[in-house]
Amino acid sequence: MIPLGHIVMLSMFLFCVGVYGILTQRHAIRFLISVELILNAANINLVAFNKYWGTPDGLGQVFALFVIAVAAAASVVGLILVIAVYRLRKSVFIDDFNLLKW
Amino acid sequence: MVKLAHWIPVFPFIAFWLNLAFGRRLGRGSAYIAVAASLMSAALSVIVFLGLRHGAVAYDLAPWVTINGVPVTVGIMVDSLAVMMLLVVTVVGSMIQIYSIGYMGGDVRFSRYFAYISLFMASMLGLVLADNLLMLYIFWEGVGVCSCLLVAFWYEKPSAAAAGVKAFVTTRVGDTGLLIGILILLATGHSLRFADFGGFSGSEMLMAVAALLIFLGAMGKSAQFPLHVWLPDAMEGPTSVSALIHAATMVAAGVYLVARSYVLFTDHPLALQTVAVIGAISAVMAASIACTANDIKKVLAYSTISQLGLMMLALGAGGYAAGTFHLMTHAFFKALLFLGAGSVIHAVHTQDIRQMGGLIHKMRITAITFIVGALALAGVMPLAGFWSKDEIFMALWQNGNPVLFGAAVLTSFLTAFYMARVIFMIFLGVPRAETHAHESPAVMTGPLVVLALFATGLGFIGSPFCQGAFQQFITGHEEGVHLNAGMIIFSTLISLAGIGLAYLGVMRGVKCPGDDCPRRQWLIRVVENKYYIDELYQFLFIQPFNRLCAALTRFDRDRIDGAVNAVAVLTAALARFGRRLQTGRVENYLLMQVAGLLILLLFILGKLCHIF
Amino acid sequence: MNAVVFYMIALFIAVSAVLSVTVRDIFHGAVALTMTLLGIAFLYFYLDAGFLGVIQILVYVGGIMALFVFAIMLTSKMGDHKIPQVNAQFWPGLLIAAVLCAVLLKIVVDSSWMHAQASAVITDLQTIGRSLVTGYVLPFEFISLLLLAALVGAIVIGKVRR
Repeated sequence: MIPLGHIVMLSMFLFCVGVYGILTQRHAIRFLISVELILNAANINLVAFNKYWGTPDGLGQVFALFVIAVAAAASVVGLILVIAVYRLRKSVFIDDFNLLKW
Repeated sequence: MVKLAHWIPVFPFIAFWLNLAFGRRLGRGSAYIAVAASLMSAALSVIVFLGLRHGAVAYDLAPWVTINGVPVTVGIMVDSLAVMMLLVVTVVGSMIQIYSIGYMGGDVRFSRYFAYISLFMASMLGLVLADNLLMLYIFWEGVGVCSCLLVAFWYEKPSAAAAGVKAFVTTRVGDTGLLIGILILLATGHSLRFADFGGFSGSEMLMAVAALLIFLGAMGKSAQFPLHVWLPDAMEGPTSVSALIHAATMVAAGVYLVARSYVLFTDHPLALQTVAVIGAISAVMAASIACTANDIKKVLAYSTISQLGLMMLALGAGGYAAGTFHLMTHAFFKALLFLGAGSVIHAVHTQDIRQMGGLIHKMRITAITFIVGALALAGVMPLAGFWSKDEIFMALWQNGNPVLFGAAVLTSFLTAFYMARVIFMIFLGVPRAETHAHESPAVMTGPLVVLALFATGLGFIGSPFCQGAFQQFITGHEEGVHLNAGMIIFSTLISLAGIGLAYLGVMRGVKCPGDDCPRRQWLIRVVENKYYIDELYQFLFIQPFNRLCAALTRFDRDRIDGAVNAVAVLTAALARFGRRLQTGRVENYLLMQVAGLLILLLFILGKLCHIF
Repeated sequence: MNAVVFYMIALFIAVSAVLSVTVRDIFHGAVALTMTLLGIAFLYFYLDAGFLGVIQILVYVGGIMALFVFAIMLTSKMGDHKIPQVNAQFWPGLLIAAVLCAVLLKIVVDSSWMHAQASAVITDLQTIGRSLVTGYVLPFEFISLLLLAALVGAIVIGKVRR
């Protein structure tokens, strides 16, 4: 088998790509795509460590399952927010909004 | 019977709370509650008096604290002195409260007035009954607070508010002395119970200092020189308050305190001497000022200082019975005089005696009772003041100090002079100003008549005709008082001389030879300005204090506020940069967040690689 | 042989992930994300987590991706290529992501488990199922509550107010 470090490097790379997407992309949906990447990076870690160091009760996989469920909930709410904001402002570009200012 | 004594202050205290809580609802009823409470106290005082006969009864109600090994209890001490004060306070207080129903009628804070008066009564009675100095001190402060509240009762007037503050602050100087005196007694491990006083061991000097500090408290309360300045100003309060607090009872508390802890003073000749000297100075000085005052209440106020000085003088000269006797008689006729003055003021709406005159035709009861009181004060045979003053003369004569005796004689002469002057100017002669004077209602004249009867007859219980029943009661000795014809004639002559001089000056308009002499003008100006003592205090204490305050204000404004403002300016300047971070854009915040995470990770990495 | 399969899957995942955040067209980005998620599902199969792989395909590829496509169709004007897709902080963002990557790489390489080998333990579906309804039943219930809340929230937010 390949060493654990290589799988973790893959997930780390996915995480950094997600961070790059969050920091630089204007489109709200691309923002959500980046979030999905980050969550999946975490999931890969969970599954990999479960496989390499885990106990028979499969804690890592159970948690990966929970993360998938939470991610589903998060993306549902995120997407519906994008749609709602689009209806109000006719824009999906995050830097068009500075509602948090002062 | 005697052990019911602790209920005496409870009635006015309940009346105080009732009036405070339901005063608005009660209206005039609050007066009846207060009067009923003090009449019940008076009745109970009489019961206690009848039960006591002689000796002293002391009993504890509850343990309190133990300070420096000295147990202090909540205790009651009823002896002849306390019983005398109880009777004076409750009887005079009841009379004055009945009078107040008429005098204060229509005042916006009618029920508040009776609440304060009830609280005062409760504090004063508690003060009288306390069996130790610490309890006495608590009630002492209670009467002080009531005094301040009642002096400033009409606080809409700036002068009344200022007078209230002055009364409080000036007596506070004395109270601090009293407190330090109590602390010295505690620190040296002595009991605070009056019954245990006497023969205290320890440094002679320290005990004398403690006695003098306790006397300082008495000086403040009894308005003795040099702490007398508050009493004339306290006349800003309602006249009935002046009668009760600043003539009859509260100011007597100082004399009472000295009489209470008399053993402390007799143990130390220096302390006793000081009491006598301060009393003599106050007596003569205040009497001389009273001769030049034109405000009827100011005359009576200075007269009070003077008479209290006379009591102190008597106590200081060893005349324990004489001092306490005068304390009692003075309470009655001074209350009478103040109430009479209040009746006059009520009628003519001025306090300036130069604008009165001929009022005897319009206010017969007030005039007659006032004249009785004034003659009693002047010491005319056979009214109350005569007998007590006679006792003081006798005590001073036996003491043998010619200066002190002379001071008493001079005070007596001046007293007769200024009281006669007041009578002549108010009631006799022709009206000097247009007034629509009328007699006061019965609720006001009734107490006047009762007090006038006391002022007439009370002296006899201390006269040779009763074998000095009062003196026997108060000292517990069986020796009577002997008729001394020489002293009686002498003091009568002194009083008549004063009255005669006033008659010549006021009624006949006789001028002294050399009245316009500039040297005498200078003397008169000094006396008229009350010996410039207020101005001296202004110069010595108040102005430096104000300058200090101004300097501190400047420091506060420039330095401390400046520092605070500098912080604010600095914060604002920083914020002008800092606010640029708050763009309101999510991606900017996220960038910062990730940058922060990165810094954290770099730090951990550095740790791992042992860079830091 | 095993290692070659892993590196192929890894390459597939990495390339499609980069594509998903870099292509101009948001719709293409969504397709690239689908590829990434599919690759991750393969990775799960490779790591003997077959159940999770199935779930990944069912939930992500089947469910969430359909939502993404709907959202894209409801919001953006397709084919508008003139609008810039990156914001003003592109260069700082790129720099920070790169440095983060380097730092994390350093940490992984330095870690004690860099060269750890797989244990023989294989978690089968029965174990996971039993865990979910015994030891982890409380989080399981909370997750169902969360999904319900998300459902209600989505309806409330998405409702057109008149």
